[in-house]
Amino acid sequence: MAKTYDYLFKLLLIGDSGVGKTSILFRFSEDAFNISFISTIGIDFKIRTIDLDGKKVKLQIWDTAGQERFRTITTAYYRGSMGIMLVYDVTNEKSFENIKNWIRNIEENASADVEKMILGNKCDLDSKRQVSKERGEQLAVEYQIKFIETSAKDSVNVENAFYTLARDIKAKMEKKQEASNPPGARGGTHQLKATDQQRKPTSWLSRCSIL
Amino acid sequence: MSCSSTEDLPEQYKELFTQDGVLLKACIGRPISDLNSIGMLCIVQNPDSTKCIEWRPNDLITIDSDTQDQEWAVVNTIGRRQRTLSGNMTSDYAAARARIVKIPLDELKTFKVARNSQQMQFSTKPGIWQNTFYFQHGNAEVFVSQLKNHLKTAKTRHDRNTYVVVEPNTESQVLNRSFAELDIFTENTTDVVWGLVSNFKQRPYETTMEAFSKLTDIVYYGNEGLNGQRDVSDEVADLLTKSMSALEDSTSVTKTEGYEVISVKPTLPPRPCIPRGTPLSTEKWEGLQDTDGRILEVEGVKQLIFRGGVAHSIRHSVWKYLLDYYPWNATHADIRKIQKKKTEEYFSMKLQWRSITEKQESRFSEYRERKSLVEKDVNRTDRTHPFFAGDNNPNLMVLQDILMTYAMYNFDLGYVQGMSDILAPLLLLLGNEVDSFWCFAGFMEKILSNFDIDQAGMKQQLLNLQQLLTFAVPDLAKHLATKDSENMYFCFRWLLVWFKREFSFSDIMRLWEVLWTGLPCANFHLLICVAILDAEKDVLISGDYGFTEILKHVNDLSMCLDIDKILSTAEGIYHQLISAPHLSDQIRIILGIPTASNKNPEDPSDTDIPEQENGKPESREMEEVTLEYNGLQISVVTKTVWALLA
Repeated sequence: MAKTYDYLFKLLLIGDSGVGKTSILFRFSEDAFNISFISTIGIDFKIRTIDLDGKKVKLQIWDTAGQERFRTITTAYYRGSMGIMLVYDVTNEKSFENIKNWIRNIEENASADVEKMILGNKCDLDSKRQVSKERGEQLAVEYQIKFIETSAKDSVNVENAFYTLARDIKAKMEKKQEASNPPGARGGTHQLKATDQQRKPTSWLSRCSIL
Repeated sequence: MSCSSTEDLPEQYKELFTQDGVLLKACIGRPISDLNSIGMLCIVQNPDSTKCIEWRPNDLITIDSDTQDQEWAVVNTIGRRQRTLSGNMTSDYAAARARIVKIPLDELKTFKVARNSQQMQFSTKPGIWQNTFYFQHGNAEVFVSQLKNHLKTAKTRHDRNTYVVVEPNTESQVLNRSFAELDIFTENTTDVVWGLVSNFKQRPYETTMEAFSKLTDIVYYGNEGLNGQRDVSDEVADLLTKSMSALEDSTSVTKTEGYEVISVKPTLPPRPCIPRGTPLSTEKWEGLQDTDGRILEVEGVKQLIFRGGVAHSIRHSVWKYLLDYYPWNATHADIRKIQKKKTEEYFSMKLQWRSITEKQESRFSEYRERKSLVEKDVNRTDRTHPFFAGDNNPNLMVLQDILMTYAMYNFDLGYVQGMSDILAPLLLLLGNEVDSFWCFAGFMEKILSNFDIDQAGMKQQLLNLQQLLTFAVPDLAKHLATKDSENMYFCFRWLLVWFKREFSFSDIMRLWEVLWTGLPCANFHLLICVAILDAEKDVLISGDYGFTEILKHVNDLSMCLDIDKILSTAEGIYHQLISAPHLSDQIRIILGIPTASNKNPEDPSDTDIPEQENGKPESREMEEVTLEYNGLQISVVTKTVWALLA
């Protein structure tokens, strides 16, 4: 079979049960939202190929069960991943507190240079919010990880998050590959907007900002 | 409940599913100007609970640019709908609806996916495709899989991408229909027995299997319950073809000048094709009870259930025995006592957590977490099924109460994801909270190790499955090994919730009741896995599927599996295994049959029919009959054969 992409990135979504990992993935891969969602048992993945600075990047995104009990199975998938999305639910304090545990989990099981990003999901449910955006930002600064608030339901920042993570992985990879050359244009805002508009003309209103 | 933001809004229309990036390519009766515009395709529930497919153009969806930066942009209603994706319609919507395309689900006849999942066509009249949509992201199959939650469809014979709508998918209809289809067969006993005896001489293997499948029918019920409509000669033809092709497969012929070298690879005996029986009927079930209500011939009952399941109308009763809520030998009076005792016990456990005050809860984080985990899962358990659908559905509350009470019943285990999946069909069937709880507890007892803290039980099962597959389907096992997939992780979901996510409610009820009998061997559910994988092996091997492709393929099998075929195959594999001369002790242990070293051929418990617990005297006289068919040795114990030949 002919290769239809330049890069294949393996990404992983982790976070407490019910924070919206599957919904984020569904929004990104299918641009859809399902009112009657179900819990994830075991593992699943979805694929989407994006265009990143002229390169076709195939994203293979793994979705895992959130409950701690299943970690012995799910951590088996940490090793091969190049990027990990740590997801919490802004309406659930505990899921935010647990991000620290998830980070420890990554340190124990994933490769050391894995790219990470923290997502505060369900930012559309403002009336139920328990975790302010500032606290999310603070945590991100503490761990030196990028952070963004998302809403899978309203399609806020989901594209943005995956593009950002993919771009960071690509930059890191190219930096490694061509140690002599400086990394390619990382600033990305222009590119990000262009690809996003291509896919969905009316969206991309960044209600929640990126750090 | 899952959409709390819309709880206080009046319920009118409800979007069950939305998918963006869909172009309207063709629509009969619409001006060309309406076509080729981008929009979203939805499944919408109308105020009268009927459903329809709706396409809405994106250019009706505008957002006031001045208000973009505000936390909640003030947008026109249509615009907001796209962003919130749930909520309700207003009069603005009515004005805009001229360009909206609606296809009521109860009028939909066929639909078709074409062009690499980029195009979908719908038809409400035979021969005409009224609507054609183009999926920008090439993901029409996502819409199809959602649509299947609301419709019962069948693929057409000539075109795998065309679906015919059979009926709207309401579970009760399906169940009622299958019950109505059961016909209680009556035929002259002597004819049946004579037919079997004469068949037995001519076609010993097939006849034995057939007879075996009707074991209890003949011995216990005389002329009741035999399904006379099955054409035995068809099955024999089937079986012969199968055996022949199996023989061909195992033999390779090398032609050299003048002579042929024929070498035979070591292989399993051919797989017998074992027909499924009819479900245990009301009449039989009632006939099985003595005047005090005790169930007689427990093993016979289990055999019947293993062969054909239970008729839907008596499931609520039979399941209580299968799940160890009622002892088989309990009288009516005993059952009343048990019910009373178990009801009290249930409510006292329920009271334990119900009496925790809010203040206590605020100081009891472990309890809080447990409760919130249960709540989260309850809110996403089978919500597409009418029984659990809709906001504030009282059945969800019962689901929640039972799971919370179970956490009190088994404090160490607590709540583990997957339990809500296990409970949902039980509650749907039994309706009653107390009964559902105790049946759930009984089911959990059978699969407790699936939920071990360290997942040791799951790991062991995956390992056992791998070993069974290596023996039963070696070429597939070999393929998996070359693809780093011998950990069998892709079967995790199957095993954790006993295939709950792979089948419809009516099919899962059938599968579960068969598995609960514990027949014909231990770990029969692993042979179900082997049967499913065996059917897919050509795709997996010839496509050279790697770990990710295998996982995707296996996950995508959900709701596309034929339960009767799988049960029949699994039983066939079981017979293949136990009659294989080279059956290893490892496999024997997994299947719970005596190992070669301590096997005693005279011991009737060696065979696949366990000894009668409280049987009649003749059950002691069971004999093992070994038959040979096409090189396949089958040991069948059989009161049936014995009775027939006597």
